[in-house]
Amino acid sequence: MKNRGYIGILFFILIGITPFALSFGYALLYSFGVIGVANSGFTLEFWKAVFESGEFVKSLFYSIAIALVSTVISVSLALWFTLAFEKKLRGRILSFVIYLPLAIPGIVASFFTVQVLSKAGFFSRLFNKIGITSGISDFPDLINDPYAIGITLVFISVVMPFFLLLFLNVYQNERVAELAELSRSLGASERQTIWRVSLPVLIKKTWTLIALYFIFLLGAYEIPLILGEESPQMLSVLIVRELKQFDLSKISEGYVVAVIYTVIVSIATILLFSNRKSQDIHE
Amino acid sequence: MRYLLFIVLLISACAPNAKESEINLDQLSWKDITQKAEGSTVNFMMWQGSPVINDYINNYLIPTVKEKFNIELRITGGQGPEIVQLIMGEKQAAVKSGQVDMVWINGETFFQLRQIDGLWGPFVESLPNAQFVDFNDQFIGIDFQQKVNYMEAPWNVSQFALFYDSARVTTPPTNLEELEDYVKANPETFTISNDFSGMTLLKSFLSELSGSPEGLNGPFDESKYEKLSSELWEYINRNKQYFWKKGTTFPKEHSKMDQMYANGELLLGFGFGEGGIEEKVNQGLFPKSTKGYAWENGTIKNANYLGIAYNSTNKPGAMTVINFLMSPEAQLRKASPDGMDSNTILDPSKLPSEWQAKFEEMPKRKYGPEMADLEDKAIQEPDPKYMIRLFEDFRTQVIEK
Repeated sequence: MKNRGYIGILFFILIGITPFALSFGYALLYSFGVIGVANSGFTLEFWKAVFESGEFVKSLFYSIAIALVSTVISVSLALWFTLAFEKKLRGRILSFVIYLPLAIPGIVASFFTVQVLSKAGFFSRLFNKIGITSGISDFPDLINDPYAIGITLVFISVVMPFFLLLFLNVYQNERVAELAELSRSLGASERQTIWRVSLPVLIKKTWTLIALYFIFLLGAYEIPLILGEESPQMLSVLIVRELKQFDLSKISEGYVVAVIYTVIVSIATILLFSNRKSQDIHE
Repeated sequence: MRYLLFIVLLISACAPNAKESEINLDQLSWKDITQKAEGSTVNFMMWQGSPVINDYINNYLIPTVKEKFNIELRITGGQGPEIVQLIMGEKQAAVKSGQVDMVWINGETFFQLRQIDGLWGPFVESLPNAQFVDFNDQFIGIDFQQKVNYMEAPWNVSQFALFYDSARVTTPPTNLEELEDYVKANPETFTISNDFSGMTLLKSFLSELSGSPEGLNGPFDESKYEKLSSELWEYINRNKQYFWKKGTTFPKEHSKMDQMYANGELLLGFGFGEGGIEEKVNQGLFPKSTKGYAWENGTIKNANYLGIAYNSTNKPGAMTVINFLMSPEAQLRKASPDGMDSNTILDPSKLPSEWQAKFEEMPKRKYGPEMADLEDKAIQEPDPKYMIRLFEDFRTQVIEK
């Protein structure tokens, strides 16, 4: 039995860590111009170029903002649905409605959004027919728009159902309904019950997942690729663009961005989990 | 034990394959080459984004090379950047037997692949059908101001053109001044895609600003570029408030522009293949009132080519397929307006008279202009550095401003 655990760790290192470490090392060397056919030896030029252009920083904050807004809205909506409609959501049809979006890949959701919300899309045509708008240009910019409305909407529609299912499960497993009843019987108001009992229980049990989803959205690719603007772009889109660029001598800049992004996400993840561990012990 | 076996397999799967095929063209006759090719498999990486091209490849080329030369032709999807990434990756990993044998490329990819020595050659002179090609034609023998030197075989030639919906626009702009008036009169119906096609349009604009169709010929000239491009960015930034989405963003690809043209959001479009409108009108995507035309100062005309990867394991096979693609038979089929609708790279005067007649009998396009109609408005592709700089500066000077 002991041998088993040993092999498990070996496998984790071999399949989980090694490829990741190797590709990270490769990206790091590439970013300093050490490897790469079009590069000619160690240089800091690419790192300098990335920070000087300011595009990376813009892209980073843009991505954080979109991921944060999407996560906060998704979680809030899911919490509200859970607490307000907990019983109804367990019905057959409604639970099907929740499961359905989970089965739709991001790329499909994006194309669907283009069909529905673009200036030549379904709603634009409908509004034009019934006379609300008088032409294509009257319809608001909802995709490829400066405020990333399209991206945020798809993020929410993809992520919200997941949180809803998660919260519904926790609600049941942690017996939130009974706890709430108990608090009410002890004289707490409805408001106090929600803010002091139900919500803390739900969030405490799930906040690691919420944070992980935030990181996941930070690195999303297809959805911002299809629905985003040309500038600023979300991080993954920026990285892929830099890696595939026409000027071979600047491909290393893509690796610089990839390295920084990996470091940020890794640190965030490590902090997240080490924090969780110490908290678990306290409990 | 099982785990150990798995690890060994994993490592052996990662190790480079030692198989290699080097051939010496001086010592081989064409017959030897086709003999070596017989019964082999050729991997062809090409752009698969057009139904008519895919139809030509899948329903004509693949069965024909199987029947004629017993060659198994396998297609992999991938264009410009993917091809460069793949070959560059293999070069970095010192892979001796590459995944692809032949690639379909245009000038920018040729330039990149030559930079990293990713192509094998020169081989084109050894192809029997090269005798029908006029390599002195500046639009075929020179690719982005770089001599082709038999490192890639021409496959198609076409001119860049603009198009408009004649039912909604009476006189389309043919120079920058008219374009300025046009966008003011028809706001949000024009844009420039941030891709190869859009940059090709910008090259035509740059050429116009230089004052002559030949203004950008010759090697890259930094001071000339600086002067002309700053005029161009000033022009675009001054007018972009009248562009699509008020110039706050630009479409990533020109296929997106085609869609927006099809649904009436845009009234002007552009593309290679003399605008590339024949197929789209035939499919019903574009209105029948679509018309193609060239810019007053000229639009870029260039050829696209077939190359062989430096580490191809089946060079004889790739040569056989490429030679067939350059044959009068395959080129004639490709020129049909109902099909791939792509101009031949063969010089009719060099062809046997029966083939000359067949090319002449070919029905004409119904909607798009013929390449011959635009001939006096054709300009050469400038040095690739112009494109590199345009890409970079269009982003920093226009999109991000």
